[in-house]
Amino acid sequence: MAVVFSKERVGHEEVEKFYQFCKNSINTEVASYLEACVRCGICAEACLFYMGENVSGRIDPTLTPAYKADLLREIYKENYTLLGRLKKLFGFGLKIEPEDLKEQVRLAFYTCTNCDRCTKACPMGIDTPKLVSIVRGALTYAGLTPKDLADATNMSVEKGSPLGVDTQTFLQRIEFISEEYEVEIPVDKKPSEYLYILSSIELMKFPASVASAAKVLNRAEVNWTVSSLAHEATNFGVFAQSKEVTKEMLRRIVEGARELGIRYIIAPECGHAYQSVRFIAPNVFPEEWTFEVLNIVEFIDKMIKEGKLKINKKVLKERATLHDSCQIGRRGGVLREPRRIMNMVSEDFRDSVLIPEHNICCGGGGGVLVIGDADYYRQKAFISKMTLFDKAKAKTVVCYCANCMLALTKSSQELKRDYRFVSIVELVAEATGEE
Amino acid sequence: MSDVAFYDFVRGPFLKFALFVFFVGIAYRFFRVIFLGMPPDYAKPKGSPPFMALKKIIIKPTMGWTFNEIFSRRAINFIGGFLFHLGFLGLTFFVPAHALLWKEITGIPFPTLPNIVSDVLAYAALGSLIALTIHRALNPVLKLLTGKDEYFANLLIALIIFTGLLATRWAGGGSYIWLVSLHLFLANLLIIYIPFSRLSHFVYYFLSVGFMGWNAGKRGVSF
Ligand code: SF4
Ligand code: SF4
Repeated sequence: MAVVFSKERVGHEEVEKFYQFCKNSINTEVASYLEACVRCGICAEACLFYMGENVSGRIDPTLTPAYKADLLREIYKENYTLLGRLKKLFGFGLKIEPEDLKEQVRLAFYTCTNCDRCTKACPMGIDTPKLVSIVRGALTYAGLTPKDLADATNMSVEKGSPLGVDTQTFLQRIEFISEEYEVEIPVDKKPSEYLYILSSIELMKFPASVASAAKVLNRAEVNWTVSSLAHEATNFGVFAQSKEVTKEMLRRIVEGARELGIRYIIAPECGHAYQSVRFIAPNVFPEEWTFEVLNIVEFIDKMIKEGKLKINKKVLKERATLHDSCQIGRRGGVLREPRRIMNMVSEDFRDSVLIPEHNICCGGGGGVLVIGDADYYRQKAFISKMTLFDKAKAKTVVCYCANCMLALTKSSQELKRDYRFVSIVELVAEATGEE
Repeated sequence: MSDVAFYDFVRGPFLKFALFVFFVGIAYRFFRVIFLGMPPDYAKPKGSPPFMALKKIIIKPTMGWTFNEIFSRRAINFIGGFLFHLGFLGLTFFVPAHALLWKEITGIPFPTLPNIVSDVLAYAALGSLIALTIHRALNPVLKLLTGKDEYFANLLIALIIFTGLLATRWAGGGSYIWLVSLHLFLANLLIIYIPFSRLSHFVYYFLSVGFMGWNAGKRGVSF
């Protein structure tokens, strides 16, 4: 049962659906952004995709953030502005060809990770990620989600996770981790105060991360559990911008958490998962969503401050820098916490940016990582990212998002670099161990 | 039409008409966007959205300057843009001749700039406008983003500053009144043109930067 589609052929019906979706997404905020753009192009220099191409000696002006919203802007104009409506009335309206939608797929799905860096550089404060999300939503509505992303999204609705982890696999995997790493992981413990929801990326690819989180939760002596129903924090509905999928994935979390009497939800090292439970869920379930949401990094910082967790040693000896997850950091407000932790666990921590909000995205966020056709752009984006690692003269890079780690590791291998990527939670687990 | 009659016309009824179009047009564009409405947001903010919205409105134009690498690649935009805005706004309101005019219209006395300062502002604005326009025409990103609107607006503004300079500094004597009238005529055109063009960005600035700040407050980020 597919929920989002990836049509091969694009016709006028798709164009019409795309158009209507864009038209219906306009509100005061969106219109303000569309109107305010002064076409200064400064945002291009902030976008890691544009920068990456530029460093490799090619200028691709279509990668400019402002340009990524231009079709949406035209649709807005001819429906909501006097001049635009007059133009349309006299037959000079927009003519969107099916080919144009393919270009929109490239712009919205392959070359934007919704990282929000352009917003910070833009003198008019234009939130391009918000505009790109609308374009994504319109493409998904028209059935034009990129194939790899559509498959993963449908898989998560069907099986419970984009990697195909169903409840049974989840339970087996938890059992394996808890034996392998000798850590207790309570499942469906009722009542519990804290619910730790992990992402299947960690579960399948970075089990040490899951074990470390469990160790930290145990050491902080909080009453916590994982849930067999609310076992997946990733929400590919957010990538595809499908309201339906977003809601379905969140429904599982609401039901799982309510059943266990949860008060705090701890989101894992996963950027968009944090976004979806912290900022989206309360609007999807205004009544039912009664939980407080903390990211695992926020949780650790809080426990250290309250004296419930004690860092005993600096476990990272070599020069290390920090990679920020855009959705947890710049767009989620968890930026000072990881830095405080880094200073405690690392002997030679060097930040690669002066202002944390300036950090550059991994290049694989927003679902770009799973889209095979976007590989070229992701690698280019990684070149921009590398400049920061090199500036900090660090080979060891600490991350707080498993998706970032996966993307960085992949790009780094593809470009034959020898960076080492480490999870911050793993460091904390080590540092809070015996002296 | 005699020179004096033309002068009286552009300074009197035509200017009034232009200002009328300006205010009605800008109000229409502003409220049209406001009335589109917003969905409610039930997510608990991490910081203070109203405070950040206000803060960003005040300091946002300087935020881009903190990105060193962006600044160095786009120094011309930042410095040129800054000088142009400073010059343009300074000239519009505080040049002695203008201040007098605004006082006549609004009844409020406007402070005036010394001549030397208004000269510097005028050359700075004109120079940066020319530099920005050339940059616009040559830079691949800007070429893609630019429409006729930008060039027309830049040309109009350049002509206004130029005729203003010409009238007060270089040409005097017999052609003075024609130059001032031309200057005023073009300025009226600009005032009428603003609501129909991207020059109206100054009203949307408060909205878009306000929203950006609001979101920053909601997310608990300080930048
Ligand atoms: S920086 Fe902002 S105002 Fe300038 S072109 Fe980009 S989106 Fe538009
Ligand atoms: S959000 Fe990030 S990736 Fe997307 S356009 Fe802006 S800077 Fe580029």
